[in-house]
Amino acid sequence: MFWKKEKKQTLQKGQQNLSLGLLKEILANLEDAEIVERQKPEGQCFTFIYIRTLIDQERMNEALFEPVLHCTNESIQDCISTSKAEEIFTLGEAEKQLLAGSVIIFDSLKKQWWSVLLTNNLGRSIETSDTETILYGAKDSFSEQLDTNITLIRRRLPVTELKSEKLKVGSLSETTVVLMYMEGVTNPEFVSIAKEKINKIDFDLFFDSSQIAAFMEDHQNSIFPQFQQTDRPDVCAYSLGIGKLIILVDNTPFVLIGPVTFFHLFQSPEDYINRWPVASFLRLIRYISFILSITLIPLYVALTTHHYQMLPLQILFVLVESRSKLPFTPFWEALLMLIILEIIKEASLRMPTKSSQTLGVIGGIVIGQAAVEAGFASKVLIVLVGVSAIASFLVPNYLVTKANTMIQFVFLLLSSFLGVFGIVLGMIIILAHLNSLTSLRQPYFAPVAPLYWKDWIDLFIRGPLTKMKTRPDHLHPFQKWRYSKRR
Amino acid sequence: MAYLKKSIWMTIVYCVILITGCAPYLENNEIEEIAPVIFWSLDAAEEGKLEATTVVPPLVQEKKRILTMQVDLLKQSGKGFNLRYYRELKVGQLRVLLINEELAKKGLRPIINTIFTDPDISQRLYLVIVQGDVKDYIKEEIESQENLDYFLYRMLKHYERKRQGQLSIVNLHQFMQKLYSPFSDPILPVFKAENGNFNYEGTAIFQNDKLISVVTDSDDEIYQLIGNDYYLKYLPIPKLSVVLGHVRTNVDVTFNRDFTEMNFKVELKGRIDEYQGEKNLNDLDDLAEITNEINSHLETQTKAFLQKNQEWQTDPLDIGARTLTPFSRPIEKKEWREKWRNLQIKVKYQMDLEPLINIQE
Repeated sequence: MFWKKEKKQTLQKGQQNLSLGLLKEILANLEDAEIVERQKPEGQCFTFIYIRTLIDQERMNEALFEPVLHCTNESIQDCISTSKAEEIFTLGEAEKQLLAGSVIIFDSLKKQWWSVLLTNNLGRSIETSDTETILYGAKDSFSEQLDTNITLIRRRLPVTELKSEKLKVGSLSETTVVLMYMEGVTNPEFVSIAKEKINKIDFDLFFDSSQIAAFMEDHQNSIFPQFQQTDRPDVCAYSLGIGKLIILVDNTPFVLIGPVTFFHLFQSPEDYINRWPVASFLRLIRYISFILSITLIPLYVALTTHHYQMLPLQILFVLVESRSKLPFTPFWEALLMLIILEIIKEASLRMPTKSSQTLGVIGGIVIGQAAVEAGFASKVLIVLVGVSAIASFLVPNYLVTKANTMIQFVFLLLSSFLGVFGIVLGMIIILAHLNSLTSLRQPYFAPVAPLYWKDWIDLFIRGPLTKMKTRPDHLHPFQKWRYSKRR
Repeated sequence: MAYLKKSIWMTIVYCVILITGCAPYLENNEIEEIAPVIFWSLDAAEEGKLEATTVVPPLVQEKKRILTMQVDLLKQSGKGFNLRYYRELKVGQLRVLLINEELAKKGLRPIINTIFTDPDISQRLYLVIVQGDVKDYIKEEIESQENLDYFLYRMLKHYERKRQGQLSIVNLHQFMQKLYSPFSDPILPVFKAENGNFNYEGTAIFQNDKLISVVTDSDDEIYQLIGNDYYLKYLPIPKLSVVLGHVRTNVDVTFNRDFTEMNFKVELKGRIDEYQGEKNLNDLDDLAEITNEINSHLETQTKAFLQKNQEWQTDPLDIGARTLTPFSRPIEKKEWREKWRNLQIKVKYQMDLEPLINIQE
């Protein structure tokens, strides 16, 4: 079979001895591959082979051509001071180095091959986070460059206990993944589980940390994310400090944090900046909004379809008045409005910022108002859709916000069939599901189930920092106390 | 796979738990297709029949209609109303039940039982006894006041919630509680529908489920003070030309060992809001005299009210419940009734009145 033959060839390539001819063969049809031959005044010839688009060309002249061609030392290693030159022997090594942004140098006199890393540091500068904006506190966020991201974390945790291990995933993308953890704090079991999971990954392309998460998650069919994704270095540093590990992926500004619990997804970096009573209040509001966003519209459908008895009389009058001339049943009315809302939400995400503002106005005011006037939706429902849409945005994690929408639709169906019982049933299913989930094989619903009382100080409320003397028990940290004197 | 199985099993278990006890057939309760009635009036009709009256629809913008039916059984009226109105009448929001005085005298047990066992009807339903013809009153009033039924409900709700000590407000739950208690008898408020007015008359005292008597005016005020809300915003005593304001009481009842004598002690706090008599409120002797007069007047009134109840063999004040102590055997119902009838009553008021004075003599 022809593919078997090709596989055999690839294997051989890794071990083949280097020769200029073979290298040229590999680089055939690569428009950006350059092979430059330069001669020293005394006659020694050097061949520089590189991929133009991957290397820093300006630096190449200063750091490579000039020193190599005008150097009197015997070895190239001694000539280059700004970069490190490594001797290479196989074709496979050369190919790898070329694609990593190295210049391969062939010394024709000594028949030696060298590689010098001159990666092009093209990329964004450090900017403010768009997804997790806060008013106070650090504004920097991760970029697509792995080293920059590691630097941002190291600056916050300048200790040698902060370990980083480099791993590779993706047979085509060869994506670098860096696993970071605090030695002596993070439970080594998490590290070994994470490493085992990363090593098991067998897939060709990775261009986002979400894809890595998809392969590492214990339950891939769940709608709840089992890794926290953040582009904020301060969140990563805090997570490392309390005993979690982080996974950085090259070319992605989003870092994976694990193991997480359901409740971690409701925490915002601003929680630790605000005064504790204020932060606690805001956190409680977030939980309430989450519940509101998934139950408000299903409750409307349940009450107007099945349980008119449960409504206070005044509200019943308003509802009867509002619904008296509508052509749709509450379920279809709610479904229609929710689908329109989702369309508006998705459209505003895909459009340029200025257009999305216009869309918001058209969607919110024009469609909302017109739907009521045309008799497609009741005024009460429009108010509820608005409230539940705003409430859904209060959850800091975007992936949970999207999960909310799914749950809302399912609850809507259940409520139209079974009324409030349907919503209760849905809640039970969600709770049962959340209880069965794990993140890096740690319970997802901790510290509620299994119960860790002490961790409740930073769960539904954010207690005073001075009272948070220990790291969360559910993360089983190696160093329990956060005070250095108690260790 | 294991977690999926676990989830499915848990869901099935919870479904079984939830669905147990629920009606297997769903009714169409979409609010735009139903007419939730909040008001029902029951009268005694000829040949032992019942006359049920209700007002539809609940919509503010639609014209109200009065529906009346003569039926043998209460639930027949619900069925009959449905056939005479384009929306399905539902009783899930029934909030006020007006019962004619004559009907109440015959006994409310069959009516209350029917209503109480209907799972749709809430126990927050207010029960009211009516003197006069409600139907005529509604017919007259509905032209000028479209939401008559709703306003009546709001009024009852207001007086129940704020505990203003003006009316006796009783809901189905409270009525049933007293009906089944061995030591007390139910009460209900009485309203009179007459000449386009719907006025509060007093409190109906029941013996079991039968209306025995209606206490009105000063007797009703005494009842509010010592048995219902223990508070009256105004307590006028025209005989003494005085009005007491913000009157609060604390009642202490003690019995002798063999339950032949009862000491009824009332601590009363309030202020003299209005005085139009001859005496000078600035003068301490005069004030003491007025207080004494009020004291003896209230003592006489209270004693008379309690003795009336002894005569009727009713106990709306739950006095029987005060015989209960944590470590003794409760008295049997029959025994208590016997003792109550023959009890010697001693009433004592302890007054703390403050005169409101702004004019120097």
